[in-house]
Amino acid sequence: MKFTVLLVKILEYMFVAGWIGSAIVLVLTGIEDVETLLDRKDEASQ
Amino acid sequence: MSSTTNSPSGSNRVRIVVATSVMLTFISYWRAAAVILNDLGSSAFYAGGIAEQAIGKSAPWFVLGVMLFAFAVRAVYVESCSMFVRGGVYRVVKEALGGTLAKLSVSALMFDYILTGPVSGVSAGQYIAGLINETISIADAHGWIPAAIHRLFNGTPQVGVNTTAVLFAVAVTLYFWWENIKGIEESSEKALWVMQITTVMVVMLLGWSLFTLLKVGGHLPPFPTLANIHYTDESLGFWKHSKLPHMFGILGLIIGFGHSVLAMSGEESLAQVYRELAHPKLKNLKRTAIIIGIYSFVFTGLVSLLAVMLVPDDVRVKVYSDNLIAGLAMHMVGPQILRLAFRAFVVVVGFLILSGAVNTAIVGSNGVLNRVAEDGVLADWFRRPQKKYGTTYRIINLIVGLQLFTIIVSWGNIYTLGEAYAFGVIWSFVFKTVSMLVLRYRYKGVRNWKVPPNLHLFGVEIPIGLASVAMVLLATAIVNLFTKSVATVSGLIFSVVFFAIFTFSEKVNQRKHAHNVAQMKEQFQLQLAESVERETVGIHPGNVLVPVRDYNTLNHLRWALERTDTREQDVVVMSARISQFGAAAYGLSTEQVFSDYEQTLFTRAVSVAEGFGKKISLLVVPARDPWSAIVQTAHNLESSAVVAGLSSKMTTTEQAFFLGRAWESIPEPKQQFVLQVVRPDGIVDTFRIGPHTPTMKNEDVILLHRLWLNITREPGLENVHHHDILTEALVRFAHDYGARDRDEIIKELRRTATDGGVTLPRRIAGQVGPTVQPDPKDRGDGTPPGS
Repeated sequence: MKFTVLLVKILEYMFVAGWIGSAIVLVLTGIEDVETLLDRKDEASQ
Repeated sequence: MSSTTNSPSGSNRVRIVVATSVMLTFISYWRAAAVILNDLGSSAFYAGGIAEQAIGKSAPWFVLGVMLFAFAVRAVYVESCSMFVRGGVYRVVKEALGGTLAKLSVSALMFDYILTGPVSGVSAGQYIAGLINETISIADAHGWIPAAIHRLFNGTPQVGVNTTAVLFAVAVTLYFWWENIKGIEESSEKALWVMQITTVMVVMLLGWSLFTLLKVGGHLPPFPTLANIHYTDESLGFWKHSKLPHMFGILGLIIGFGHSVLAMSGEESLAQVYRELAHPKLKNLKRTAIIIGIYSFVFTGLVSLLAVMLVPDDVRVKVYSDNLIAGLAMHMVGPQILRLAFRAFVVVVGFLILSGAVNTAIVGSNGVLNRVAEDGVLADWFRRPQKKYGTTYRIINLIVGLQLFTIIVSWGNIYTLGEAYAFGVIWSFVFKTVSMLVLRYRYKGVRNWKVPPNLHLFGVEIPIGLASVAMVLLATAIVNLFTKSVATVSGLIFSVVFFAIFTFSEKVNQRKHAHNVAQMKEQFQLQLAESVERETVGIHPGNVLVPVRDYNTLNHLRWALERTDTREQDVVVMSARISQFGAAAYGLSTEQVFSDYEQTLFTRAVSVAEGFGKKISLLVVPARDPWSAIVQTAHNLESSAVVAGLSSKMTTTEQAFFLGRAWESIPEPKQQFVLQVVRPDGIVDTFRIGPHTPTMKNEDVILLHRLWLNITREPGLENVHHHDILTEALVRFAHDYGARDRDEIIKELRRTATDGGVTLPRRIAGQVGPTVQPDPKDRGDGTPPGS
């Protein structure tokens, strides 16, 4: 049981740490996304 | 072999130019987004209902969380596309993690693709059955159902929801099976059209829902805390008797997240459309990713949230869990008839988008299995072409067989199907993301974009963003193994069976391949070229291009060789290696482009040329669309004629129409050429591709001449020419067509076309404009121009 609890704890840490990192990804890519949307110079060819 | 093009070194091996860049018709990011959303958006119809059945009323928060997380996952796909690795998903994982895991990743991907069909087909069937039952119930409430029918059914007549869903799913799957056997063309135009209709529905749905909320109010779903997550035995799987899920708060969040993860299924399509995106590719890929991110967040995420807020608890799970959007439509404020009409609209949109997903599943699975067959991990037996249509019918039969089996075994249980589907979705994401993480250290090639943030410590890059996404996916996938028992068991059995088939096939193929390589080295010499150029192929302008596909139908090559003096005019035999959506996440390797099939095809072509004692040049081009491939190759090689065989799926005029349309889409400057379609009975239809003087009917020439006679009698108009009258007439026609009499002109033209007895050829020529026109004078005994 102790081993299982340890494994679950590891999974929980992975999930939380992963989400914190992913939130940073969301913010940084979100800023890039806004810049991409505002940059319309290549859109004429679309 | 001396009769064919030899290698420059003077050996007897036949030189084949293999173009390594796929010839594509590029699409805008809006179209690319539409293609992806046809898959990604379809999950909105069932993801919310499945999640709520598993974890209770707080499910919409998890669905919203998944849709937010999908923004991070798409960043992984943007990075993988920016690397432009050669090879499909199998190759990417193989490069990063080795052959065994690559085969497992393909098995998971196949599980995902194959289940997309049943889950979409059954979901569409559930929506249709729900609408039928609701309509009958309303009719019955108004007393419109006769008492006799009432007695016959012991109450209000109702169709069996699951049975109807199964029958519908089977019918749709069989329909698309036949379409794929015939080899249908995928079109971004169709995808755009479906998404336009879907957008109308989404806007109406959100607007009406918000109005309803303002009118009647509503409560947000309970926040996702351990106390608010309500598991069922089914949602805990192997852990249903364990205390674990009730002991850890965050574990509960992972379980909930795992049950909602199928909301982002379809994200992998980003990699498939990348190659077809117009310049600037990476920027357009990001734009595509933004569009699909926002759209799916609003559609899938908000619809799940609004459904819980507006549809009462007692009917939401019991009645509408399998057709949640229909439930939402029925619980807006407004007259019942309007709500029912809107629900019917929801069902129509659901039918379009979900049926499209059934087709995508077959096309995608066929593409993946073709790819692994080309990589040597699936026996060549699977790739034998269908005699009439040339499609890989054995693979299609296998896929559709598995899909039908899944539909019947599940008997319309969308929850079970959805849970199993999530297994394939999450594990293919895991393999992809972990591979990308490994490739950060192994891959040394060009990489134009990286998932941020990246920390640099002592000269070592630490990919924090990529690792974070991988950790969330891996933790969720591992927990899913325990909580989704049906998915785990079925997914593992499926993956193990496919893995065994792949491993066995690989061993068999390795022995066979060694023999084939030796044989091919004796016979052919491959010359790789980034793009198709006349100089690379070593031919002169004005050559004859002969596209070949099936080695059993090379009559048109014989016809071209009979009439061409190859000392004066080059004959180029071209095979287009077609990859469809779902087939090519990345470029093709040489072995993929020039496979056993092409080897057999060219061996036959060379033997035909040898029979005539004439020289041919051989060319393989990877392409997305055969028509574009032919037109672009003819353009690049400055060909004066294209000699094709009759398609098994269309008439000669239709072939000319599609070629003409492809010609229109290539950029200027472009040259005209002649298309000659050789029928099996030897009759040849000739078409001019590109603007040209049309063939005029005799009575039109007489009319023109009469007009000219009359006009030149007018003072000051003695010097007017026939062409001046035509110019004036055309300018006036264009003005009338554009300004006032469009409908009248179209009506008149239709009447003329019908009266003249010329139906399809005239109509098609009209659609293409002046670019395609059958030339009856060349019919039957034409020779390639210039010969």
